[in-house]
Amino acid sequence: MLEKLLYVVLGAVGVYFAVDLLVFRRLAKRPLYRTRLQNALLLVAIVVGLLLAIREMTLYLFLQIVFLNIVEMCVLVLATTGIVLIFKTSVTTNFAQGTIATVGAYAAAKLIIRLTAETDLPTTTKLILAMIASAVVTFLIGLFIDTVIFRNSKYSNPVGKQMITMGIVLVLFGLMPVLFGLLPLTIEAFSYEGRIIEIPGMMPLYLPYHNLIALAITVGMLVLLFAALRFTKWGLGVRATASNETVAGMMGVNTKVITALSWAIAGTFGGVAAFLFAPIGSGLSVAFMTPVQVNAFLASILGGFSTFGGPLVGAVMINLFSSIASAINSVWTNVIVYVLVLLLVLVKPLGLFGRKTAKKV
Amino acid sequence: MALLALRLRTFVKRLSALSRHPYFGFVVFGIALVVLRLFALGGIVPNSLAKSLTVTMIYAIVALGFSLLLGYAGLASLGTAGFVGLGTYFIGHFSGTLGQTFAVTLAVSLAGAVVLGAVVGFISLRIEGMYLAIITLGLSEIMREIFKSFTAFTNGVNGLEFRNFTLFGAPVSEFAVDMIVIVVFILLILGTLNIIKSPTGRALLAMKNSDSAAQSMGIGLMRHRLLAFVLATLYAVIGGLLYMMDQKFSIPTTWSLDFSLNILAAVVVGGAQSITGIILGTFMIFGLNMTVLKEIAFFREFPDATWIVSGLLIILITMFYPGGLIRLINAIRFKLTAAIRKIRAKWRAYRYGEDD
Repeated sequence: MLEKLLYVVLGAVGVYFAVDLLVFRRLAKRPLYRTRLQNALLLVAIVVGLLLAIREMTLYLFLQIVFLNIVEMCVLVLATTGIVLIFKTSVTTNFAQGTIATVGAYAAAKLIIRLTAETDLPTTTKLILAMIASAVVTFLIGLFIDTVIFRNSKYSNPVGKQMITMGIVLVLFGLMPVLFGLLPLTIEAFSYEGRIIEIPGMMPLYLPYHNLIALAITVGMLVLLFAALRFTKWGLGVRATASNETVAGMMGVNTKVITALSWAIAGTFGGVAAFLFAPIGSGLSVAFMTPVQVNAFLASILGGFSTFGGPLVGAVMINLFSSIASAINSVWTNVIVYVLVLLLVLVKPLGLFGRKTAKKV
Repeated sequence: MALLALRLRTFVKRLSALSRHPYFGFVVFGIALVVLRLFALGGIVPNSLAKSLTVTMIYAIVALGFSLLLGYAGLASLGTAGFVGLGTYFIGHFSGTLGQTFAVTLAVSLAGAVVLGAVVGFISLRIEGMYLAIITLGLSEIMREIFKSFTAFTNGVNGLEFRNFTLFGAPVSEFAVDMIVIVVFILLILGTLNIIKSPTGRALLAMKNSDSAAQSMGIGLMRHRLLAFVLATLYAVIGGLLYMMDQKFSIPTTWSLDFSLNILAAVVVGGAQSITGIILGTFMIFGLNMTVLKEIAFFREFPDATWIVSGLLIILITMFYPGGLIRLINAIRFKLTAAIRKIRAKWRAYRYGEDD
């Protein structure tokens, strides 16, 4: 299979250079055609590579692994959305995204313990209440960070903002054991059962209900967010702020409110993500969202920060890559995925869906 | 008698001339560190303080390399942890497991650092800004996965132990390791000082302020970016070697994102362009926990709560003093000298009467 993949890659590179040298050299808009050809070849190579991998590992195994990894995918998509939202409005990468989310998950776990001790609500109600609590806590933290810290920082450049977010990471790291105690906490899954799906000509597939619920929540939140971005005044404000904060401010957009709300909503996405992710690992810990966050950063880079949708596609792709890689070689899964992402980004430095903006000198 | 006084005066004059040399302060600092370590040997200073200072110095070495990258070349990298980890495993594997001489280890480590730095440098030519930070973070994660899974080299998640370190056929004591750390630290400080003041350092600074302007002045982007990354990686790998000599244990969980972020924090808190600032910043981020805070009861109960202090420090300093602690200190110093001058003028006016 590896040889075949190598042939695909070599073929794509060969076609690119051949066409570039033989055909495009005579055309006027060479760079434009070049990018288009690059995109097309990349798409073909990725699709062929995926098909090859699926054929290698059989469709059944592929589907089964994808079904089992749905939660990871949802969590990654939610976390990535949060990061992109903040990047769009504040032009900084939020290192605290995962840690803020972890605080939400801790709060949810504490609430569940409290509810179990004091009331006799059914498990599902408790979990829904806890999820809302997680979302609210992270919403408030996001709001606090923007209104109290970012608004008052005197000189803010992107690196400075990055530093502030990492300071927040450290503060929250320190606060969590003090606030929530040193005992290990857990969050239950919505359901530990699953559904057997029969597809003719294949072994029965197993789909856990928790994954289905996670998928439903994620899709619901994404639909809401994109609808809000498209149709509400806030969405218009976010898009305006993303394209140019100063000009948006001059045109009467209240950029402060827009930014604060973006931080809060990004926090909420993280909080829900952490809540969904908590049951599938080995309990809560201070740093349990860090791998998700690293992957979310890579997904944003892979998709490119220029669009809202690109990073989401990047997140799904990273999840697919790691599903396939885990079937091929379980020890080196992450290395394979990271190297793949690295190569793709080297080919397209602004991300798969990135747009080049002219640089002023 | 008069001759003696004259000699003394010339000696003082020479000393004051010497004290204006840029190396002077750092050499004195090094001597002070050696004296402190000797005091610890004699039991005047607690031994734990000396140990924490050694670790802080090792981190400061890594931070120095990183400051060349961030403060001078203006390239944000989050791959530091991977490179330091690689250094620890180089010495742990070649000197420890395989039992090679230190010269071999050193040669392999430095060669590895140069190659790796060049690779990252090439990547930095294509990817810039925050994208570069995240890509180097990805590289660091790749290396951490390798540390975890390549058990023949790193002993996997159980961590690699490194006992019986020998130099020239003789076992090296703890005291000797500390001395090595101090000497290497001071030498690297002087080296960094030279690089900063050389045309290369100026070129890096020009590149940081504007790529295009630097290129139009004839500064090769590729050469200098590669150089910056190679230097930073070299410092990091040397830091890793020293870390392994001192701590004698390396485990993949140490070399995660937190470590890179802490180094970044140390550089930014102290002031990315000043060597004194970086030493100060490293002490604030790493040393303060180990020396002062762990004596307080609250932090003994919650050891992780020391993070809060460094976190708040980072937030406040970036919010109000983006130039770092060193700028704050300079500002205070200027104010103080101004105040002293004013008081002196008043004193003169009182004593000798006002000027007309």
